[in-house]
Amino acid sequence: MSGVKPEDTARDGFDQIGKPVPRKEDARLLRGKGTYLDDIEVPGALHACFVRSPYAHARITGFDLDEAKAAPGVVAVVTGHEVNDWTNALKMAPPIEGLQPTEMTTLPVDKARFHGDPVACVVATDRYLAEDAAELVYVEYDLLDAVTSYDAALADGAPLVDETLPSNLVSHQKFEAGDIARRKAEAYRVVEAAFAMQRMTHLPIETRGCIALWDDGRAHLTMHIGSQAPHPMRSMLAGRLRLAEHQVTVASPDVGGAFGQKIIVYREEITVAALACRLKRPVRWREDRLENLSASLQARENAVKTLAAVARDGRILSLEAEITEDFGAYCFYPANYLARVIGMILTGPYRIQDYAFEVKIALTNKCGAGPMRAPMAITSLVMDGTLDAVARELDIDPAEVRRVNMVRPSDLPYVMPTGEKLEDVTPSECFERGLEEIGYAAFRDAQEADRDNGIYRGLGMCNVIESTTYGSAFYKAAGIPGSGHEAAWVKIEPSGAIRASAGLMGTGQSYETPYAQAVAEGLGVDPAQVDVVLGNTDISPYGMGARGSRGATAGGGTLFLAALDLKAKMLDIAAALLGLNSPSELELRGGQVLRHVGGAWSETGLGLGDIARTAYMDPLKLPEGMEPGLEMHRAWDPPQMTYSNSTHFCAVTLDAATGRVDIDRYLIVEDCGTVLNPLVVEGQQQGATVMGIGGVLFEHMVYDESGQNLCGTLADYMIPTACEAPEIEIVSQNTPNRRTPAGIKGMAEGGIMGAIGAVNNAVNDALRPFGVVAERQPLSPDYIRSLLRVTG
Amino acid sequence: MNRIAFTLTVNAMACEVVAEPRKLLSDVLREDLRLTGTHVGCEHGVCGACTVLVDGAPARACLIFAIQMQCREITTVEGLTPAEGLSPLQQALHEEHGLQCGYCTPGIITTFEAFLRENPKPTDDEIREVLSGNLCRCTGYANIVRAIRKAAQIMRKGTAA
Repeated sequence: MSGVKPEDTARDGFDQIGKPVPRKEDARLLRGKGTYLDDIEVPGALHACFVRSPYAHARITGFDLDEAKAAPGVVAVVTGHEVNDWTNALKMAPPIEGLQPTEMTTLPVDKARFHGDPVACVVATDRYLAEDAAELVYVEYDLLDAVTSYDAALADGAPLVDETLPSNLVSHQKFEAGDIARRKAEAYRVVEAAFAMQRMTHLPIETRGCIALWDDGRAHLTMHIGSQAPHPMRSMLAGRLRLAEHQVTVASPDVGGAFGQKIIVYREEITVAALACRLKRPVRWREDRLENLSASLQARENAVKTLAAVARDGRILSLEAEITEDFGAYCFYPANYLARVIGMILTGPYRIQDYAFEVKIALTNKCGAGPMRAPMAITSLVMDGTLDAVARELDIDPAEVRRVNMVRPSDLPYVMPTGEKLEDVTPSECFERGLEEIGYAAFRDAQEADRDNGIYRGLGMCNVIESTTYGSAFYKAAGIPGSGHEAAWVKIEPSGAIRASAGLMGTGQSYETPYAQAVAEGLGVDPAQVDVVLGNTDISPYGMGARGSRGATAGGGTLFLAALDLKAKMLDIAAALLGLNSPSELELRGGQVLRHVGGAWSETGLGLGDIARTAYMDPLKLPEGMEPGLEMHRAWDPPQMTYSNSTHFCAVTLDAATGRVDIDRYLIVEDCGTVLNPLVVEGQQQGATVMGIGGVLFEHMVYDESGQNLCGTLADYMIPTACEAPEIEIVSQNTPNRRTPAGIKGMAEGGIMGAIGAVNNAVNDALRPFGVVAERQPLSPDYIRSLLRVTG
Repeated sequence: MNRIAFTLTVNAMACEVVAEPRKLLSDVLREDLRLTGTHVGCEHGVCGACTVLVDGAPARACLIFAIQMQCREITTVEGLTPAEGLSPLQQALHEEHGLQCGYCTPGIITTFEAFLRENPKPTDDEIREVLSGNLCRCTGYANIVRAIRKAAQIMRKGTAA
């Protein structure tokens, strides 16, 4: 590979990287001038409305569409009988041992598999009229028994969610390293612990939607759709619609949040696009909140049981984990995808070599599941919660149990039993700093005194190893299909105007500003000069999009590399213009070419504009053999995995009479490597942590036993409001990664992992005098009281 | 389809609208008047993204029929934005990184333009209490609270000067 190498780009001081630059995108968003999907005006567009199954599991025995077709404004009413002829089914059959192949047609025609399954689509001249007509679509159903839990799905004789499979066990894998039996025989004790996260949903405040425009002359589809990953989405859309990729443009406007919900192409979107192609008219669809809560991707609902063989001092000799997950009715992702990552990184920052895990995934009659911000969220809770269980059982201080097990600086690089390598991480440094900042010893003394007065405080700790940026090698090692590379370009126009793009699309992560800083750093200009354009597949290079926490490392890093290469070309041109043999004494700063002479930098009188003009308009002055123009494209596949790390501390007070949990203090010590923009990073840390707190305490996507979704409104599915979100103290102890551009590590999901662990561990610490342990979330007053009632 | 012509006063301008009586204020503002700064997040009055001012008081545009708003003064985020630059509240949200995806932001601006007029010196608890009517999934709220506190300070100075 030519060009600058990532490992050569770390530096002690940067000019633009690391500055708290307020965001470029704010100017439009604050003035109400952003362009979200529904703000795009398309004259003559038709409106789609979906008819959905009111039942969790039912055979479809007939459709009566006549009345709907005759309703005012209606242009078309279709079911899977038409749409499935126009489109390809989604085959999910990667060659993974233990994973059952599945296939999903665009709309179901034989049976509905969950409450909210789309079974028909009405297209009318107006959204109100489309909704009116949808009420007139009659679907005949024969009810089937529904399976609505992991256990029910795997019970003998359970109804099959997918009748092409031998059972509802859609994925089953095992892993073992070391000698578990021997470690257990040597152990002082074997400690059991159990953890479970409830079903949740992403809840972007802007729901999904799309606008499909078919250009019949050029045979080209333009799909306006909020997307985290426009290029993979274009590939999926083209494949499903039987078009070549060059016949499809995916254009993502501003997006009002996604959190993992806007990566894949859904059945509704394929239906809308297929209708636009058939009707040869623009068709748009806006999901309403009920649809978002019942039929957009959901997440979590996984459980982990651990068996830890321990020595007398709390050292873990071996660890076994049984990971189970309720994946819902359809596989929009390979079913092993999320749980497998949990298994791969579960041991986190702790020294464990004898390790085994088993992953079992079941299909149920609920909405399909997929990745939600921190899909591996449960890992830190499981690991630190297991250590808390060890501390309780052996009556050792929980901080001490963490200490004796933690990877020490001298252990690095540390290869985890799954082959994952930890390097350039600082778990013990962050943990010790956190103990100091929180005043650990003083807290324990006060806690003891308060208990005597009937006040139950708890302190929870959680050490997080956050897998931020997945390289292709990780996917291969984990047995998950996918590439981890990212692509970027930087262009300087003849006037000196600068544009840059990457394959990722932001959905609130503030990419435009830190990306401008990365490019500005690489080029030696001001970030305000850099226009960052994202989200349109005709403009952006093919990259894997925004997933995991790869935005800074993969996106910012690749842009930085492209900018550095472009600067090298500019300095070659500058040297030629200045009559120098080499650019070694030259540097670009603030858009000006400086020359290092006599121990100081002096101006040469040449600027970026002169170089750009020469590159495009006067190429005869370029060094011999150099191509005209100033455009640089880079693609970069990050290392197998890039890790950030952090320690979360949460202090709570538990009201034993009501089960209410109040957060008294929340502290994070974090090492997320070189930071592009500290304002943006702090915003991500705050936001992720509050989302994690919402998951521990409030959020719960509830289905009843018959499979009815009971969370159809935002009054039922409760996310934290400003009154529940605590103030969060953040201490940064950043150290660079040696293998990534500029030493970036990335972050944005660790806040969720840490909160889920720290809050849960804090509540269990508060519950300690009662001798009960919370083993599932959310930690609602109801659940806490049910635990306390047992104790009398 | 029973479309009716009526007049709305939006951002101090009289606007002629022809719409069905059942059409929501949020839809008329966005589709008929192209004031797309008012966002729709839930259509059942919980999320607060569609908040506009009706005669100066915050109201959910998704819970009101546009036709009910004849003879009332509607103000949207566009009406609270100066011709050049940003209002003190918008500027504070920018400086304190009080928005990420920005979808909930116009509803927060309308709510707090009205609130700060009535309560120029709010405590953080009062800010959080009012802000609890606007759901934000990105920020965790701390920076929004900080920005509102800062805006209040700047607006108090502005009034005093």
